Amino acid sequence: MATVVRMPEVLAGASEAAIQSWLVTPGQSIGVGEPLAEVETEKAVVEYAAETEGVVLELLVSEGQPVAVGEPIAIIGAADEATRVREEPGPADGSQQRAPEPETAPDPEPSPLADAPDLLPSERGGHRAAERRFASPIVRRLARERGIDLALLTGTGPDGRIVRRDLEATAAGQGAAASETRTPTGSPKQPAPSPAVQAGPGGPPAAFVDLPLSGMRRAIARRLTESKTTIPHFYVVADCRVDGLLDLRRQLNAFDEVHISVNDLVVKAAAGALMDVPEANVAWAGTAVRRFATADVAMAVAVPNGLVTPVLRGVESMSLTQVSAAAADLVARAKAGRLKQHELEGGSFAISNLGMYGVKEFSAIINPPQAGILAVGAVAQRPVVDDGALGVGSVMTVTLSADHRVIDGAVAARWTAAFVQRIEEPLRLLL
Amino acid sequence: MPKHERLEAAVPWVRLESTPEDWRAADPALLGGMLAELHLIRAFEETVLELAGEGLVHGPAHSSIGQEGGAVGSIIGLRSSDGVNGSHRGHHQFLAKALTHVTGGDLDLSALVTGDVDRVLQRTLAEILGLAQGFCAGRGGSMHLQWLEAGALGTNAIVGGGVPMGAGNSYAQRQSGTTDLTVSYFGDGAVNIGSVLETMNLAAAWTLPFVFFIENNLYAVSTTVAEATGEHRLSGRGPGFGIPSWRVDGMDPLAVHLAMTEVGDRIRGGGGPAVVEAEVYRFFHQNGPYHGSAFGYRAKTEEAEWRARDPLERVGSEMLGLGLIGEAEIASVRTQAVEAMREVADRLTEPDPDAAGKRRIRPELWPDPEFVDVGIRGDGSELAGGRFLEPLDDEGPKDSGRFVDFVAGVMDRRMAEDPRIIVLGEDVHRLNGGTNGATKGLAKAYPGRVLGTPISENAFAGLAGGVALDGRFRPVVEFMYPDFLWVAADQVFNQIGKARHMFGGVNPVPLVLRTKVAMGSGYGSQHLMDPAGIFSTSPGWRIVAPSTAADYIGLMNTALALDDPVLVIEHVDLYALPEEAPAGDLDYRLPIGRAAVRREGADVTVLSYLSMVRHALEAVQQTGVDAEVIDLRWLDRASIDWDTIGESVRKTNAVLIVEQGALGTSYGGWLADEVQRRFFDWLDQPVLRVTGGEASPSISKVLERAAIARTEEVVRGLEEAVRRMGGR
Ligand SMILES: Cc1ncc(C[n+]2csc(CCOP(=O)(O)OP(=O)(O)O)c2C)c(N)n1
Repeated sequence: MATVVRMPEVLAGASEAAIQSWLVTPGQSIGVGEPLAEVETEKAVVEYAAETEGVVLELLVSEGQPVAVGEPIAIIGAADEATRVREEPGPADGSQQRAPEPETAPDPEPSPLADAPDLLPSERGGHRAAERRFASPIVRRLARERGIDLALLTGTGPDGRIVRRDLEATAAGQGAAASETRTPTGSPKQPAPSPAVQAGPGGPPAAFVDLPLSGMRRAIARRLTESKTTIPHFYVVADCRVDGLLDLRRQLNAFDEVHISVNDLVVKAAAGALMDVPEANVAWAGTAVRRFATADVAMAVAVPNGLVTPVLRGVESMSLTQVSAAAADLVARAKAGRLKQHELEGGSFAISNLGMYGVKEFSAIINPPQAGILAVGAVAQRPVVDDGALGVGSVMTVTLSADHRVIDGAVAARWTAAFVQRIEEPLRLLL
Repeated sequence: MPKHERLEAAVPWVRLESTPEDWRAADPALLGGMLAELHLIRAFEETVLELAGEGLVHGPAHSSIGQEGGAVGSIIGLRSSDGVNGSHRGHHQFLAKALTHVTGGDLDLSALVTGDVDRVLQRTLAEILGLAQGFCAGRGGSMHLQWLEAGALGTNAIVGGGVPMGAGNSYAQRQSGTTDLTVSYFGDGAVNIGSVLETMNLAAAWTLPFVFFIENNLYAVSTTVAEATGEHRLSGRGPGFGIPSWRVDGMDPLAVHLAMTEVGDRIRGGGGPAVVEAEVYRFFHQNGPYHGSAFGYRAKTEEAEWRARDPLERVGSEMLGLGLIGEAEIASVRTQAVEAMREVADRLTEPDPDAAGKRRIRPELWPDPEFVDVGIRGDGSELAGGRFLEPLDDEGPKDSGRFVDFVAGVMDRRMAEDPRIIVLGEDVHRLNGGTNGATKGLAKAYPGRVLGTPISENAFAGLAGGVALDGRFRPVVEFMYPDFLWVAADQVFNQIGKARHMFGGVNPVPLVLRTKVAMGSGYGSQHLMDPAGIFSTSPGWRIVAPSTAADYIGLMNTALALDDPVLVIEHVDLYALPEEAPAGDLDYRLPIGRAAVRREGADVTVLSYLSMVRHALEAVQQTGVDAEVIDLRWLDRASIDWDTIGESVRKTNAVLIVEQGALGTSYGGWLADEVQRRFFDWLDQPVLRVTGGEASPSISKVLERAAIARTEEVVRGLEEAVRRMGGR
């Protein structure tokens, strides 16, 4: 960090002084207490000594030029800064605009909520400031302790500050990645990925933008690639007639205090099916097949710039209204970024519902350690055949992705049948 | 044409002069004692001015040269157990009291400087030079001279500021059943300041054994008495307050002595306070070794006239005339005094090795710089042996009642057990327990110990300070509303808050000040402050702010056991709340520096106190934010619970300080500063604060609500903290 040397108040009350002669030249190293210049005021000429050590990068005022006390007169930098700064074209006339802006805080608002105003990044001019990553103190400390390079994180705090959550997302989602890219001590820092539009050397702006990866994006990329490439997926598709389900939902929601969604009913039905077919309520545990006693169902929740999969635990023993409330809470907190780490862990099964986007059907990638995921499409009126007669019914197509290491085709089929049955005989969901 | 009836003051106002007969009748030993003390003080003051001229007295040296007659004449007849205090010009009173204490006023003119006298001179000069061996360990210097053992209560650099404390000393003397009295010395300038006038009223109302001793030297710095007041015979202040008053020639020590004898007889007989105005003259300017005429505010001829009335010469020549002493003997008294002072100065100074012909302070005599903050307050060891109870852990049976009933209840209990406790404040003795019932039942149960005061916060707070410093009683002061601290600010902060440290850091000041925050009650801009922020700037004060009745009991008991001034903050919103406290137990204490975690949480640490703890908990419930709510209980820098705060911050990495009142006087500023410094590496966001608005709350209900913080504002604060947690 370069230090700005300012015109000292040589005599109490003096407001102006001049450098009678500089005792150093740019590029020269200087130690604390070594004379920098002779300063002349109305009353006296005194020798002024350096208060920091380093290399004189620049002399900002010429000899004899009167300068107000407190104005920058020279810049002293660390040795390695010397070349870089000297390459810049600097005004030799001693003008003072070169000095970094003093850090000024905006006027505090008379608001009931007072706090130290943060500096906006834009207030920090200059090329060196662009490299500065804002990170909270605890983040700096933890990053230091854990050897995480802050340059690889994206800040989601105020004004892009890297906050604890960003670090935790990294730790949870891609601890490996972080440690692989650890900056070796002593080597120069990798520059941070910049969100700026890339420009070819001298050419027009390129037609793409590189958005820096968030911790969540890295986690999604790593986990799903791993899933799709290491888990043998297979798929079972079924159509569910949901006229009865929709009727039931309408009736339930006639009560003021309840608001049951189709998804709540799907979650409840999936949990019931896991109980009906315990062979499907399993996970690959490396050296064993782990079978679960409860139905812990994860829900894929879209959040800005990604998704999270919080887990509803013990759904089999929850009432429909409990499921509904718990799901709503998880979704709300997921969107607010307020989920706890443990709420994102475990589960044997997941539901991904894109019905609200009108998707007819799709297949999902298993989210390990879970062994199955149900992709739920939109409810739509479709031609249906009942007892040989063509009619119109509400239909929802679901696709089960299963992990063949632990779930075979027949089990997947039985599970799907159980699920469809529960959806089509919805009163059982209330039991 | 209206009819006029001439009214007379109800008390006498006289001018007293000595007669040749009085001189003949005077005890020769008394006259000799006066002569000796006068000469010792004069030589002492000359030495001070000499050292000041050499730049060895740091700060002003207000010399008393010329005025010694008033002090010596009035003090030589006092007991050691009588008290005196004074002002910035106080060397002469301090020395007269200390010398009279060690000699009984009986000095041998042929062997003037005994070991005791020598020690008094040396320790006093050392104090004025700021040296460790001084009476106040060098802290007090010229303007804060205290030697309690001798009845020298401490001189004061706030003009008139010592007068209420002096009155407090006299209250303690009377309340202890003695016939001792206290004299407070102050100048003609000080006679116009509120502390003096309020105390005249209070002392008269309470018939205190107290003397207002005005040293009228005609000038306050350069301002004349005639310029400063309409009644230049300053003893005329007394009769308006019902205080008998004397005017006396202060250049005549015997006349002063005679006046004080009359005054003393009257006061010791229970007649109440007196005013004595001594007409004196300082031969030099306000401070330093120059004549006043050099500054143009008075004439050389005037100075010459007064010099001709030098009290030293007056006593010497009267004694000479009566054949009690010879010229040579007088000269020898002078020589002995000068010689003694030369030796004292030599012991404290030495030739400066860096400047030929100059002296310097002997370097080894300075106080250790490490001493700078020692003794701001006590170390709390006086609490040893007390029984502590943590209401959070108490699972025993409970008594229930309103918060305010526990307030009155614990005071009742303490007063029953500790006869030293007295309660004073406006209307505390009436209205069934003052304006809020906080002193309910006490006036009846403890007659004479619950004192309804005149409306003069400065005087009665200061009086309580004097009582505390005396140590025989433990005053509990009530300010009806916190904002009244401003009218009492001198006594609260300059006197009570600083007294222990300023006079050397050893003399305790056990005083409790109760007041109630009233935000929400509609009393408007001048009644609705939270005093915590302002008091926390005054390090001598400890501050507690209980949020529950059970805490109130424990904290009040600790406050009453502590040897420091303690501010106990109450809140009107709490008074009527139904509360529970350990059944039948009004005796437990809460330890210093123990906060209460009211809710454990992981995401943000909420630091709050008093009624805002409840609002914070409510806000946490409403938002669902996983906050850890810490009820600070102890608010001052020395007593706050850093362990609990630190543990929480290390867990949550976020801090929200919650208080109710206006931003300017708010409490949390220093705390935020301290938190970020102590826990910087643990923070994930800046320390946030909930406070009231910028302006003091208005009376209009809507504007008042808008000006203060309650649950809704804490909700906003929590949401802000969550926003700053990022993660989206
Ligand atoms: C409250 C206060 N105001 C002003 C001062 C500054 N000051 C110190 S001494 C003094 C004059 C005091 O005059 P007087 O009371 O007549 O005493 P004297 O100096 O004549 O002994 C003043 C104005 C002060 N110390 N305290």
